[in-house]
Amino acid sequence: MKERAFTRSKEYFERAAKIIPGGIYGSKSPGFLVPGHFPYYLEGGKGSCIIDVDGNQYIDFLCGYGSQIVGYGNPAVDLPALEQARRGDLLNQPHPVMVELAERLVDLVDGMDWAVFVKNGTDATTLATSISRADTGKQIIVAAEGAYHGAANWCSTNVFPVFTSAEQRDVRYFPYNDSAALEEIFKNNRGKIACVILTPYHHPTYKPQQLPTPEFLAAVERLCHIEGAYFIMDDIRANFRLSMAGSHSYFGAHPDLVTMGKALANGYPISVLLGSDVLKKTASSFFITGTYWMSAVPMIAAMATLNEMERLGGPQRLAQLGGMLKAGLETLGHQAGFAARVSGPLAIPFLTFDEDPDLYLNQKFCAAMADRGVFMHPHHNWFISLAHSEEDIERTLDAAKSAFAELLQSFRQSNGDSL
Amino acid sequence: MKTTSADLHTEEKQILAVLKASLALALAQEVSRLEHEGAAIGIQIRIFSQGKVLRIPKITNGGSALSLVFFSPDAALSVFSGGKGLAIPVPMKLRAFQVLRLFQKTSSRAQELIKAENTPDSIKARLLLSATLHGLEAVSEDSWLRRRMQIIPDGSVLVRSGDIRFVVQKRGSTIVVAEDTHAEPNAILSFKDYQSAIAVLSGKRQAVVALGLGEVQIKGLLPLVQGLFAVLDRLAWYLGVQV
Repeated sequence: MKERAFTRSKEYFERAAKIIPGGIYGSKSPGFLVPGHFPYYLEGGKGSCIIDVDGNQYIDFLCGYGSQIVGYGNPAVDLPALEQARRGDLLNQPHPVMVELAERLVDLVDGMDWAVFVKNGTDATTLATSISRADTGKQIIVAAEGAYHGAANWCSTNVFPVFTSAEQRDVRYFPYNDSAALEEIFKNNRGKIACVILTPYHHPTYKPQQLPTPEFLAAVERLCHIEGAYFIMDDIRANFRLSMAGSHSYFGAHPDLVTMGKALANGYPISVLLGSDVLKKTASSFFITGTYWMSAVPMIAAMATLNEMERLGGPQRLAQLGGMLKAGLETLGHQAGFAARVSGPLAIPFLTFDEDPDLYLNQKFCAAMADRGVFMHPHHNWFISLAHSEEDIERTLDAAKSAFAELLQSFRQSNGDSL
Repeated sequence: MKTTSADLHTEEKQILAVLKASLALALAQEVSRLEHEGAAIGIQIRIFSQGKVLRIPKITNGGSALSLVFFSPDAALSVFSGGKGLAIPVPMKLRAFQVLRLFQKTSSRAQELIKAENTPDSIKARLLLSATLHGLEAVSEDSWLRRRMQIIPDGSVLVRSGDIRFVVQKRGSTIVVAEDTHAEPNAILSFKDYQSAIAVLSGKRQAVVALGLGEVQIKGLLPLVQGLFAVLDRLAWYLGVQV
C-alpha cells in the first residue's frame, strides 16, 4: 500500500481558509471526512474513478454525492452537452429541449403530469412546499427527523433564533416510519398542515439507512387525504437509482409532488419539480424564475443521461452491482469479527457497524479504504453508478479485506477502547 | 452585533456574569494546582439577579470556605473584568479573606501565564483549555442555544492535548466539564500538540483550518463535536463583549 500525500490539497485548503468561509463549506468540508486520509480537492474523474490534485486515484463510491450515474466524462452525455454549449447555453428564451425533457419526465415518472426545472434540490423542495402552502392556504410542513431536504432556512441545520422564530417555526418533525407519531402531529395541528415531505426511504447522515414500511406510506397517504394536505416525495438523492419511474413507484407510494435532481443530468446543474394535475393551476399562478433555470446545456445533458441510463441497464444493473458489494462487505466484515451491516437499497448502500453507533469503526474503515484507493464516505451513504464494473467491485472487496484486517488489528491494540 | 455589555438584555448579562465568574474560578483552580500544591480554592460565587441566584458551574472539589456574593450581574461583570464593584465575602472571617486573597492572586496570575511568552506550552494549553471548556458549561444556559442544543446528540467528548484530558458531557441542554473519567467517550477531539491547542484556543488559528491541516482531529460521534462548535461560537461572542 502506497503512502498517499495530500500536499497540494492542504496548500489549496490553507489558501482557501483565508478567503472562503470555512475553507470548504458544507458537506464537502474536510471535517466531514477523515482528514489525513482523504483529499480536499479533486482534479477530475473518468468512468468510476476520480483523481485528486496530488495525483491520487480512487474508485469512487460517492459519485459526486449521487449526481454521477453514468460515469465521469461519459461522452454520451458530454458530447451533446458540449455541442450545445458551443451554440449557446443560457438564451433569452428556453431551448425546445425544455419541452422534450418535460414530456419525457412526465411520461417516465409515475403519476406526474407537469414539470418545472430549477437548479438545486433546495430549489425544488422549497418550491414544492411553497406550492403546497399556497394551494392549501395552510402553513405547516411535516418532515422526518434527520431527513435532509436542502439548505434553505425552513429545512436547514442552520438553527439561529432569527430562523427558528420564522421559517423553521412551522415545520414539525417525527421519527421516520413512526405512523403513530405522524398521526399525533396531524391530530394536534388539525386544519393547519399544508404538506408532508419525505424522502422515499430514510437516509440520514451518520446513521444506518431505513426503508419505509408499506404501513407507514399508507398512513402518510391516508392522513394527507383526510387533512387535505399534499404528499411530497423528495427523490433528489435517490432518483432513477431505484426505478426509472421514480423511487415512489419502487416503494408503491402515490405522492402529489416529486422532486428530482442529482443523477438527472449526470452532474450537470438541473433539478426538477414534478406534480400531479391537481396542483397544476396553483403552480401556473406562481412566478417561477431563476437566472440559470432554463439553461439549455443541462437539459440536453439530462436527455442524454436518461438515454444512457436505459442503454446501460438502469436500476437493475445498479442493484446487481450493489448486491455484489453488499454481500462482499458484510461477509468480509463478519469474517473479521465485526457486525458490519450494509443498509439501504442495493444501489445506494451504506456500511455501519452495529457494535459502534458512534462511528469510530466507520471512520477507521473508510480511512483505510481511502488509503487503498477506494473513496467511501464514513458518514454519508454511498452510490453505485453504471460506470462501475464487476472488476471495480472485486478490487474494492480486495481492499476491504485488507482494511478489515487493519481495523481488527487497531481494535485489538486499542483493547476495544475508542480507536 | 452587540459589542458592549450595556447592549445586552437581562439574560445575556446574566450569562456573561456567570461566564466571567466561571472562567475566573477555573483559571484560579488551575493556577492553584500548578503553583500552590493544589490548594483548593474553596470559593463559591453567588450572583443575585431578579430575585434568583445564578448557577455558577462548580469548579472545585474542595469545601467552600467562602461565598463571594454579588448583588447584581453588573457588579460581578465589573469585578471579573478588572474593574470595581461590590462583592461581599461571607463569612467575614480571617480564613475567608485568606481564600479570597488566594483567589484574586491566582486569577490574575492565570492571565499573566496565558500572556507571558516564557510560560511552558503545556501550562498555557491547560489554562486555555480549562477556561474554554468551563466557558462552554456557562454559556449552555443561554436560551439562544437551547434549540441548537436540542439537535445536538447527548454524549461525552474527550478533549485532549498531550497529557491534558477533559471530558465534556452534554445531556439535554446542559454541559458539564470534568477531568477525564476514563469512561468510553462518544467522541474524541484531540490537538496534535500543545502549540496547536494554544493556536486554536487563543483564536490565532481557525478550528476548521486546524482540522483540515491535521492539527486537530475529531473522531467518533461527529454531530456531537460539531454541535459543540456552535456553542463555542456563542462563547466567543460572549467573550467579545466589552464590559
